Amino acid sequence: MDFSLTEEQEMFRGHIRKMLDKFGGTQLAREMIDNNPQNLKKVYTTLAELGCGGINIPEEYDGMDLDALDLVPTFEEMGRSLVPGLFMETSALVVPILKKYGTEQQKQQYLPNIASGEKLVSFAALEPFNDFSPAGIQCTLVRQDGQYVLNGTKTLVPEVELADAFLVLVRTNQTDQEDGLSLVLIDKTKGINIEKQSSFDESKHVAKIEFNNLVIKEDQIIGEVDKGWTQLQEGLLYFNAALSSYIVGAMESVVNMATEYAKIREQFGQAIGRFQAIKHSIVNMKVNLEIARSLSHYANWVVDTDELDREAAVYSARTYATEKFIEVSAHNVQIHGGIGFTEEIDCHLYVKRARYYDQYLGSTPFYQEKVVASLGW
Amino acid sequence: MDFSFTKKEEKFRTELRTWLEANLPEGWLEGKRDLPEDLDEYSRVLRAWQNKLYEGGWAAIAWPKEYGGRNASLMEEIIYHQEMVRVKAPPLINYIGIHMVGPTLIDIGTDEQKEKYLKKILTGEEIWCQGYSEPGAGSDLTGLKTRAVKDGDHWLINGQKVWTSFGHVADKCFLLTRTSTHPEKKHRGITVFMMDMHQPGVETLPIVQMDGHKDFNEVYMTDAVATDADIVGQVDSGWHVLIALMLHERTGIGAELFTLEKQFNDTVELAQQYKVNGKPLIENPVVRQKLANFYARVRGSLLNYYKNLTTTIKNGQPGAETSIDKLVVTELNQALSAFAVEIQGHQGVLFDKDAVADPKWQHLFLASFGQTIGGGTSEVQRNTIGERVLGLPKDMGR
Repeated sequence: MDFSLTEEQEMFRGHIRKMLDKFGGTQLAREMIDNNPQNLKKVYTTLAELGCGGINIPEEYDGMDLDALDLVPTFEEMGRSLVPGLFMETSALVVPILKKYGTEQQKQQYLPNIASGEKLVSFAALEPFNDFSPAGIQCTLVRQDGQYVLNGTKTLVPEVELADAFLVLVRTNQTDQEDGLSLVLIDKTKGINIEKQSSFDESKHVAKIEFNNLVIKEDQIIGEVDKGWTQLQEGLLYFNAALSSYIVGAMESVVNMATEYAKIREQFGQAIGRFQAIKHSIVNMKVNLEIARSLSHYANWVVDTDELDREAAVYSARTYATEKFIEVSAHNVQIHGGIGFTEEIDCHLYVKRARYYDQYLGSTPFYQEKVVASLGW
Repeated sequence: MDFSFTKKEEKFRTELRTWLEANLPEGWLEGKRDLPEDLDEYSRVLRAWQNKLYEGGWAAIAWPKEYGGRNASLMEEIIYHQEMVRVKAPPLINYIGIHMVGPTLIDIGTDEQKEKYLKKILTGEEIWCQGYSEPGAGSDLTGLKTRAVKDGDHWLINGQKVWTSFGHVADKCFLLTRTSTHPEKKHRGITVFMMDMHQPGVETLPIVQMDGHKDFNEVYMTDAVATDADIVGQVDSGWHVLIALMLHERTGIGAELFTLEKQFNDTVELAQQYKVNGKPLIENPVVRQKLANFYARVRGSLLNYYKNLTTTIKNGQPGAETSIDKLVVTELNQALSAFAVEIQGHQGVLFDKDAVADPKWQHLFLASFGQTIGGGTSEVQRNTIGERVLGLPKDMGR
């Protein structure tokens, strides 16, 4: 038995960390708040040069044909600096879905461009005043005169300005809730109406997008029509495994912040880290981090296997990570005291991102139910 | 990353499983697992079980072969615990002897000491207890006041120990005493004796715990006698001996985690069987959310243990991060058993022979309070993690 990342994986982590630190770490998220993604774009170019985009893409499409586990160091390091953008949606949602369900033509059209970093894909699922469930998807894709026409509105679509294409969840059949949905890939065109929305986490940009009689070709539908929800569940396994890694990286950064601050901040003539009230609070954060990391590493290993606990492992890694990220980022503010309440210090960036991801593509209760259901309980 | 067992490890598992099925007390596998309430009878049955383990070569698998062990790897120890938990094997009455005292003697004992004690530890002929805590020395063991004074060619020991597990059945005690005083460096001046429990100067009184059991004892020493030959290591260097001993207790937390995992599965079964308003409890969304949460915590703790075990295997010895495992498993035990009692509704207060579920969650719930105190309280574990893993400064008193 060996439950650890390999030396190569850890070495790769070092490269990513060095590169992100060069760009100022969380500075990238702050620049997004100011609507300035110039450095972020450079980071994405560098990530592509390092080969990150192609890690889980087969060799015939210019990738390295490695596993989800090989993406873990990249996601953890991105989480550590709260790097925004569409890398996770592209590599951990779109790529696994295309690999498993895409036609040869779709793979050739997208995978090499994703591997080279030329194509980033955003995901449009949620609709205004609806939830993330089959019944909540009402954007209609209707067949008319030998072609398809798309109508409807999607909300909370991430980083539209960085997207080259969208993966969109649409309704193709009104008679069956679950087996009436399809996934389509749409390149960004002028025919899509985009309206920016204010985000609680200002470093994660979101927008409402509207489709008015947008013509869709049949070959833009991924795999079989009406099977979109099933396809998405497979993609969500990879996405949530990746998300748990990203959050582990973010949590690690939070624990480091709190620890280092408690070592240097003095009150009553001593470092506050000497007080058990502070020390034990940071230890609880550390324990949550290590459990989250263990669940996440296992999830990223198991997702590429056919082990019986594959789904339960991924979904429990996600719920544990999102729940504890909220908790540790809140404790970090408390440990910093007054300065932690300011915009100047990074504490608030993590608090906001924690909340953003907890409610992204399903909630904690949504995934808790999936854990229990997947175990047959 | 690799979660498989090697062929050699699988063979080890099969061999142990086959042996257990052939040698467990009659009816044990079928659920006849009640141990005698009478203390002497209890002790006799468990000594006999340990002797059986010894004869099969399964008493102390981690010991070197020359001392009667199997030189087992850490993974084989893990498998050993998994298999013991699987059949809910009887408790090891000489746990302290097998897992702590024996390995320490093999490591730093004299040839005479090895000759005199090791075999009897294995066979269950001599049961060991540990004399650590005192009324005034709990988390801060350096406050211990039990004194050993040289008197001619032997030592006279006076003082009181408390929370001494197995003290009532023990033949020998691994005893921490103060042999000299150093107010500035309280870790100095401590000496470990291997004291005979069967002598006029030693009196043992059981403590009744909140769960009704009497696992712990007070041990009073009034001019109890020991000799130079009974000292482990050097005079005044007992603290080093204690640290060496703790490093030998390699996989005990693993055993607790496997038990926890089994108990979690039992909780799920309980929720499936129990009905509220005619429907199985497990259909209740709140119960489902809580079960999902426990699933994440139980699996997470187990995986985290494997992560630390991997590091231990690579480095040759456990690091401070293993304190996380102890902290997590004991607190989770408390939360899980509380939950299992809670979901039984009012019937959850039925106790002992009237308790409605198996295992008897009410007992486990009460016993769980001892786990976050014994073997280093949760607060001490958090200090260790804070100071030795995160590098936070110690408080001024230490």
